[in-house]
Amino acid sequence: MEYYRDRVVRFLVICSIVWAVLGMTVGVYVAAELLWPTIDFGQQWLSFGRLRTLHTNGIIFGFGVSALMGTAFYSVQRTSHVTLFAPRLAWFTAVAWQITVLAGGISLLAGWNAAKEYAELEWPFDILITIAWVSFAIVFFGTITRRKIKQIYVSNWFYGGLIIVIAMLHIVNSLAIPVTLSKSYSLFSGAPDAVVQWWYGHNAVGFLLTGGFLGMMYYFLPKHANRPIWSYRLSIVAFWAFTYSYIWAGPHHLHYSSIPEWVQSLAVAMSLILLAPSWATMINGIMTVSGASQKLRTDPALKFIVLSLAFYGLATFEGPMMAIKSVNVVSHYTDWTIGHVHSGALGWNAMITFGTFYFLVPRLVGAELYSVRLANIHFWLALAGTMLYILAMWGAGISQGLLWLGLDEIGELSFSFKDIMASMPPYYALRFVAGLIFLSGTILMAYNLIMTTKGRKTLQVRPPEATT
Amino acid sequence: MKTVISDWLLFRLLFQPNAVFEELSEIRPEPHSVFFKYVIWLAMAPPLFAYIGASNFGWRIGAATPLHIPSESLVIVSIVYFFALLVGFVSTAVVAKSIAATYGARHSLGIHFALVTIIAAPLAVGSSIHLYPDVFINVLVLIPTLIWSMYLLYKGLPVVLKISPERGMLMASALIGVLLVALVSLLGLSVALWGRGIGPSLGV
Repeated sequence: MEYYRDRVVRFLVICSIVWAVLGMTVGVYVAAELLWPTIDFGQQWLSFGRLRTLHTNGIIFGFGVSALMGTAFYSVQRTSHVTLFAPRLAWFTAVAWQITVLAGGISLLAGWNAAKEYAELEWPFDILITIAWVSFAIVFFGTITRRKIKQIYVSNWFYGGLIIVIAMLHIVNSLAIPVTLSKSYSLFSGAPDAVVQWWYGHNAVGFLLTGGFLGMMYYFLPKHANRPIWSYRLSIVAFWAFTYSYIWAGPHHLHYSSIPEWVQSLAVAMSLILLAPSWATMINGIMTVSGASQKLRTDPALKFIVLSLAFYGLATFEGPMMAIKSVNVVSHYTDWTIGHVHSGALGWNAMITFGTFYFLVPRLVGAELYSVRLANIHFWLALAGTMLYILAMWGAGISQGLLWLGLDEIGELSFSFKDIMASMPPYYALRFVAGLIFLSGTILMAYNLIMTTKGRKTLQVRPPEATT
Repeated sequence: MKTVISDWLLFRLLFQPNAVFEELSEIRPEPHSVFFKYVIWLAMAPPLFAYIGASNFGWRIGAATPLHIPSESLVIVSIVYFFALLVGFVSTAVVAKSIAATYGARHSLGIHFALVTIIAAPLAVGSSIHLYPDVFINVLVLIPTLIWSMYLLYKGLPVVLKISPERGMLMASALIGVLLVALVSLLGLSVALWGRGIGPSLGV
């Protein structure tokens, strides 16, 4: 008789928490560097350019993907009523991924950089990522193939979409000619290179940070609320609408550049259409949770999920709006973009992951959460940190947008780049404080979950015998 | 049920918020009386302060010289600001009323007018910082004000609308979501208007 393979889930969750603390600490440090530039102490590896890529890679691939792999392995077993296919390969996936991200992070500090945003890792790491990702795909789809439930539950559609699309994006965008071990040159050049890069970049946001985490939401929210999803049909319609429209939206990162005008217009149109499936999903989540309010009394984790849906609604509205060319002309190249990314990354991705971990970790070891009070404090710290971050960046971004383009009486630009940046420290100080608040909440969570699991073995759970 | 809100309600809100929530939970105010007695005056404060501040000093958005907007343009902007606040107020109250049914809360329009009024009141008072038109100082003052408003929302909503604190938490979060979206649309709309030559002159 087989048990669900939950030890690999526990390993991935722990790695994810470690990456969260590490990645956010680096984020706070680079925020501090924008205030006090000398704290790189003349060390190249401590410079903004290198630490910033470590921050983004550590958060997206360390914290985010580890959480996605862990929750995918956990939920695909339970929604298929079978144990993981190829459990050793699952362990290989988990460990290989951690080694790749860790070594990749060190290579970024050493100055290796492929010069593509969110795909900075050089070609040896691109190959390692591909191997780990294909293993992930084999384990996940192998488990789906031997499922004992006829229907493939919607969370698995989102996780499956994540695996397939990221494989496609990663392989195409990383095509390059290696010159040395640490340097390669992209197969694409000029405008096509930019289009491919943002096809990758935006769909990484789409299918990893949105789609993947929606998979998490569709499994853990109904579990949390202890009731089925409000409209299953809507969730499937939203999945296909989301998948179809997201893939076209990338070029909105390249407005007013040398790419063809029609490509920019198409991206605007598709970005606006995208609002419909995004909000359909949000409404589905909110309606699911609205009937389970009595659970909020005992379950601090549900609060995180409720709030993450509110920020998901904000971020998926703000994104299409910023894709409109007449808004983009002011918002692009300003800190508004950074604020937008963090309303998604802090408000949506991090909060839904926190909510999921507070639910999942006690169940993995068959114990109560160590401290509900700490979790509640974490909730308010996360909310305050996110709000402060977004407001600081709105203020900075709007100011920059106005000043970049401000004209004097004779129609010349009024301000130099240097003057504008010299006026930014107050906002950057606010952002630094916001980051510290958010990070301290994350550290509380790490402590809380460590104390929950300490000295406890992973619970052994069997799949149900009789299935339909 | 009483329909009249006692005088000095907003003043007492500052010191005894809980007593004000309790009082509101026992009355059924008329929307028009709330609107004409409180809302119009509160909504007048921010544009007025902004007009005085901007016409006398000009907005400082960090760079050396303050941004001066021509006075006729400033009058139009202030009037639009006033009506935008009123529209924002009414639509927030209507949205709150319409989602109240989902959460099993009281859903007379008057009580939602009153609820949104007490939540917005700190912001109207805080807008007096527009007299000193420096973007950063404004952000610095308005953030704590906003936190105070959010506190009133989470704390007051379940009491005033007579639902459990848990449901109140859900409904308040839903409202925050709606308001954040409204705020960001306002930002986007302003930016799009600037690009079309309404407001500050930009090299677009």
